[in-house]
Amino acid sequence: MRVSIVDYGVGNLHSISKGLERAGARVEVIRDFSKLPEAECIVFPGVGAFGAAMEQLRPVSDEVRGAILSGTPALGVCLGMQILFDRSDESAGSGLSILRGDVRRLKGDRIPHMGWNDVQHSDDPLFDGVPQGSKFYYANSFVCHPMGKIGISETHYGETFVSAVRNGPLCGVQFHPEKSGSIGLKLLSNFVRIAEESA
Amino acid sequence: MTKRIIPCLDVRNGYVVKGVCFKNLKEVGDPPTLAVEYQLQGADEIVFLDVNASVSGTKTLHDAVRKTAEQLFVPLTVGGGIRSFSDVRKTLEVGADKTSINSAAVIDPTLINKCAKSFGSQCIVLALDAKRVDDSWEVYTHSGTNATGLDAIAWAKEACERGAGEILLTSMDADGTKKGYDIELTRAVVRAVNVPVIASGGCGTIEHVVEVLTSGEADAALAASIFHFGQHTVAEVKHALESEGVPVRWGS
Repeated sequence: MRVSIVDYGVGNLHSISKGLERAGARVEVIRDFSKLPEAECIVFPGVGAFGAAMEQLRPVSDEVRGAILSGTPALGVCLGMQILFDRSDESAGSGLSILRGDVRRLKGDRIPHMGWNDVQHSDDPLFDGVPQGSKFYYANSFVCHPMGKIGISETHYGETFVSAVRNGPLCGVQFHPEKSGSIGLKLLSNFVRIAEESA
Repeated sequence: MTKRIIPCLDVRNGYVVKGVCFKNLKEVGDPPTLAVEYQLQGADEIVFLDVNASVSGTKTLHDAVRKTAEQLFVPLTVGGGIRSFSDVRKTLEVGADKTSINSAAVIDPTLINKCAKSFGSQCIVLALDAKRVDDSWEVYTHSGTNATGLDAIAWAKEACERGAGEILLTSMDADGTKKGYDIELTRAVVRAVNVPVIASGGCGTIEHVVEVLTSGEADAALAASIFHFGQHTVAEVKHALESEGVPVRWGS
């Protein structure tokens, strides 16, 4: 499986790249977004801000949405999960609108929600081999409010929010699997397997 | 949420200053090797502090960060000598998950706004060095050599309003003493801001870590010497915390 990691021009892509390579994927970092609609598998990493990321993706957003809706496997991490939705409190302008719902400011005492927190997940292949209550690393101020039943895990911080979604080979996680030690690498390998099986 | 334990490595010209001795291991000076070793011990995050961020040192630091990011799967914060927006960008680009900014933010507080807007608050850490003056604390910059006249609590609040996502708080009075973190300072900053606070400076024993994460109310504790000289592992610290009822994360 060849995974294209979207490079919005900010932040660390080394850990997510190496994590996916360890999961058996071949990885390429994509700065020329015109190639994205043809990608075999897309990863939207979790760095930067909603508006800045969407500004860069805007020229190809229709094509990317079309590709993913017709079955290209994809994983959104943190901000990368949020831009899959319609809109966000963080910035004006729409998201990719591949998933229905919006992104709202998290109602916690200390924001950003920064550090290791529990994940309570349903019996989903993305969480194969991940014990219930495992801790993942978060660094977010916003959370997704999906419409429809696509949530596959919940996390509590000030409020209970959806911390992972899956719809076929499209996955989104609010935490950073590439920063969550060995359990995070397990989740990345589950994603690569889901992507390969959908191909 | 668990409380975080964060080993800090002082890096100079791409190497860890003085090296580090783990139990049963010879002294090592290679940042990626040490960072990964700490991850295996259960470290929740790693901090690299560039102790003499000279122009010639920057490239070697970046090489060390890049190599580390390719092997490390817990967050990495890099600080020391971050002077500008482009320094922040470059540090994130080579593999840091967060950058800590100290002097440059005091000189130009709008740097915090600009970086938070472009990269997100979650990767902008305000490094705040504070020294007690009568009943309050004063902000120091340039590795503790320059008194700014700023009140530490007021500056912490302002930095958060500008978009800092976390505060790395070092007590200059406690730093290097190994007599414990400055509990009063830590608690005062924690209560003044609504972002996570990492306490630093003064850690000499496991009890000090427990104290700053309980009565000090800090979200995370940074320590160097108790880990570097093989005195304790991260896991030992976590066992002590857990026995005091403090939530910690197990695993590597």
